[in-house]
Amino acid sequence: MTATAWLAAVQTLLAVGLAPGLAGVVRRLKARLQGRIGPPIGQPYRELRKLLQKEPLVAHHASWLFRATPFIVFATTVAVAALVPLLAVGLPIYAVGDLIVVVYLLLAGTFFLALAGLDPGSPFGGMGASREMTIAALAEPVIGVAIFALALTADSTNLGRIAARMLAHPATAVSPGHLLAFAALFIVTLAETGRLPVDNPSTHLELTMIHEAMLLEYSGRYLALLEWAADIKLFVFFALLANLFVPWGLAVTLTPLALAVALGALALKLGVLALALALLETRVAKLRLFRVPELLSVSFVLALLAVTASLLGR
Amino acid sequence: MRLFAQLSALGSSAMLLLALIPLWRHTVRAYARAFTWQSLTLAGLTALTAYFSGDAELYAVAALLLGLKVVVIPRLLARMDRRFGSEIQPYLNATTSVLTAGVLVLFAYIVAEPLLLASRLPTRGGIPLALGLIFVSLLIIVSRKRALTQVIGFLMLENGIALLAVLAAYGVPLVVEIGVFMDALMGFLVMQIFVYQIHETFESLDVEQLSRLKD
Repeated sequence: MTATAWLAAVQTLLAVGLAPGLAGVVRRLKARLQGRIGPPIGQPYRELRKLLQKEPLVAHHASWLFRATPFIVFATTVAVAALVPLLAVGLPIYAVGDLIVVVYLLLAGTFFLALAGLDPGSPFGGMGASREMTIAALAEPVIGVAIFALALTADSTNLGRIAARMLAHPATAVSPGHLLAFAALFIVTLAETGRLPVDNPSTHLELTMIHEAMLLEYSGRYLALLEWAADIKLFVFFALLANLFVPWGLAVTLTPLALAVALGALALKLGVLALALALLETRVAKLRLFRVPELLSVSFVLALLAVTASLLGR
Repeated sequence: MRLFAQLSALGSSAMLLLALIPLWRHTVRAYARAFTWQSLTLAGLTALTAYFSGDAELYAVAALLLGLKVVVIPRLLARMDRRFGSEIQPYLNATTSVLTAGVLVLFAYIVAEPLLLASRLPTRGGIPLALGLIFVSLLIIVSRKRALTQVIGFLMLENGIALLAVLAAYGVPLVVEIGVFMDALMGFLVMQIFVYQIHETFESLDVEQLSRLKD
């Protein structure tokens, strides 16, 4: 194996390994902002270990789909994590899939999760699935359009190339198109990862839950895989926001020093985003379900304006 | 100069973003806060233009903006808001108005295209955004029922025109600028009096009731 292949593998393992930690950091920051001490940052790892050791229980009526879904969701999310530039630009692995592949791999995971929510026939699962699909249907065009804003300025949908292009032309980072696309993608990140104004990640008891409702029938290692996949999804979205819009720190050459700098920069950027998310989740209340389409229409308009600005304003 | 171009475009898009906030929020306080931040951005942009163009008069304009639109008018708005209560009634629901705003900004880009070709100023990237801001403020004015929200729409419209002046001509002469400010302030005060009067007479700020006077 060549050095670049090793690096791609390390990068992916890093995303998979650090994702629960990021979720822990967000939880911890949020608790501190709300005046609580909060669980230790390692708590998500302990939960995953506990769940992985437990025996999974499956409903009698559940089909093979129910058993396969955790693996499909986990696999697609890890595949996406492999395609997102975390430490270096210009790795050959980015040629495997571009931004569009990333989006649709994530969407495939969401699709199977919704099917699995319907499969055991519990009322909560069906409700969660229908809500998740509503939100996914509204969020997907936003991601698509916002991507085109990025792809237009970079003349490519390749993630590594978008980041490299922006490193070469730092001025494009503060163009109106990028600012608007960032705002649109940030809102979509909240919707897709089930964060607060759209879904409450820390409750199992409300009638309003979306993501948790689909997982309600899962237990044991299946639940562990799905929780882990959700953490990786948050990590991947954060990494996309951080490294596509603010790529500074990404290693252009594969020297150890550049990679160390990249690691530090990644930690810093993820920390800033985690803090922003914790602040936001402390400040806002959950939106009523019927107002979620309004929020997503705002993000759609932002994405539309981003494309307009990139296309006509250059 | 490249930096100036980027920063002015960034500031203009931030102002446009802030004009979109009222379209989906439901409280007057959110409107007033968006307006305050928008005015602050405008003051910053004016000072920036003063720095890069070396026009000292623009610093005075920026200071005026800061005093009037970031401090005085938001305070008056907050007072009116406390007095009249905060719920708003739009003619258009949030989704429709936001999508309409998107179309309006697209339209602004198309309208501004010849302007962009003719202009060689580094700030020209923001011109379509300023036009878009003007259109969106007009949308806010026509699509809201309550007088108070219409006033904020008017103030945002004024911000849009000031932004266009700064971007397209590096600001108009100070005398004119002061005149415009006084006009805006007078207009705002007159509207404030009207709002109070409307509230006295109808016990509501719903302007629909004004058109039903003839019945």
